[in-house]
Amino acid sequence: MEAFFLPAAVGQRFCIYHAASGPLARGSLLYIHPFAEEMNKSRRMVALQARAFSNAGYAVLQIDLMGCGDSSGDFADATWESWVQDVTLACEWLRHRSSSPLWIWGLRSGCLIAVEAARRLKPALPLLFWQPSLDGSQVLRQFLRLKSAAEMLSGSAGGVVDSLRRDLVEGKNVEVAGYELAPELASGLERATLAPPHPGTRLEWLEVSSREVTDLPPVVARAKLQWEQAGCSVRYVSVQGPAFWQTIEIEEAPDLISATLTALLEPVEA
Amino acid sequence: MDHMTQVLGILDEVLGLNGRAAAYTKESPLLGAVPELDSMAVVSLITAVEDRFGIVVGDDEIDAATFGTVGSFVDFVERKLSM
Repeated sequence: MEAFFLPAAVGQRFCIYHAASGPLARGSLLYIHPFAEEMNKSRRMVALQARAFSNAGYAVLQIDLMGCGDSSGDFADATWESWVQDVTLACEWLRHRSSSPLWIWGLRSGCLIAVEAARRLKPALPLLFWQPSLDGSQVLRQFLRLKSAAEMLSGSAGGVVDSLRRDLVEGKNVEVAGYELAPELASGLERATLAPPHPGTRLEWLEVSSREVTDLPPVVARAKLQWEQAGCSVRYVSVQGPAFWQTIEIEEAPDLISATLTALLEPVEA
Repeated sequence: MDHMTQVLGILDEVLGLNGRAAAYTKESPLLGAVPELDSMAVVSLITAVEDRFGIVVGDDEIDAATFGTVGSFVDFVERKLSM
């Protein structure tokens, strides 16, 4: 495992590279973390998966996006565009490091960034999405809501959020749950959707649920259809486990780790 | 799985109750009775039901009464689902 700083257009990004163990380099994955506290809560699961990938012959590069984790810059300096550029930069690094097939692996809102980056890269890269956020405006709404937690129970949360949105529209940074959010990040996030990138893209879509999921959830079915109509292939798997990016205590989802390896190793049926 | 069972599962998981929610009934009090249910946990619960049920909760749609009992919370979710 190597930790290093990758020079970016502005500043540098903290990266961790797990080389594939053994002689067989099956592929390389670039991991894109989710937004704010979800990044921190999911660290353990991601570390466990990265280790499992390495043991299975896949290299993994983790990058802290601008203003996040140990990368340079404050969160207040982060813009959506800078995050998309971080992903394309990291892909280039991985391509130089290994000629094995490159994947982008995203968790939650990381998938929204991944999709935009994939659109800018050729050829079509295979994607591994964990519990993808379908809609950046919902991610933003759920994040802004944190500011109004105290007001929520008195039914006056709306005023707090309206005030935040007004500030953002006026070009001012806002503070939510200890994070300073710039308008350029909020607007990019708000516009982001999980739209299919290039035709021919392979998407492995995995989710966890505390209950057994037998049917395709309607929102997933709609997205899957949209991607297939755009000439992409989508395989969806749901396993039992906690929403580890969200739970109050740090949790693990071991079934997700094995299902993820299977998703990459199992050939897609024609 | 019915909505009540799903909501109990979400309560248990988000609040980290380790199975305690399985014993809850519609009358079981939540706010003020479950120590894990603070304002931040309320926000997490709303996000969780939005994600799991595919509903959108407006910022002014909930108040303390929504989380009075398990029943009031389930009723809220079902009202949103029927919209």
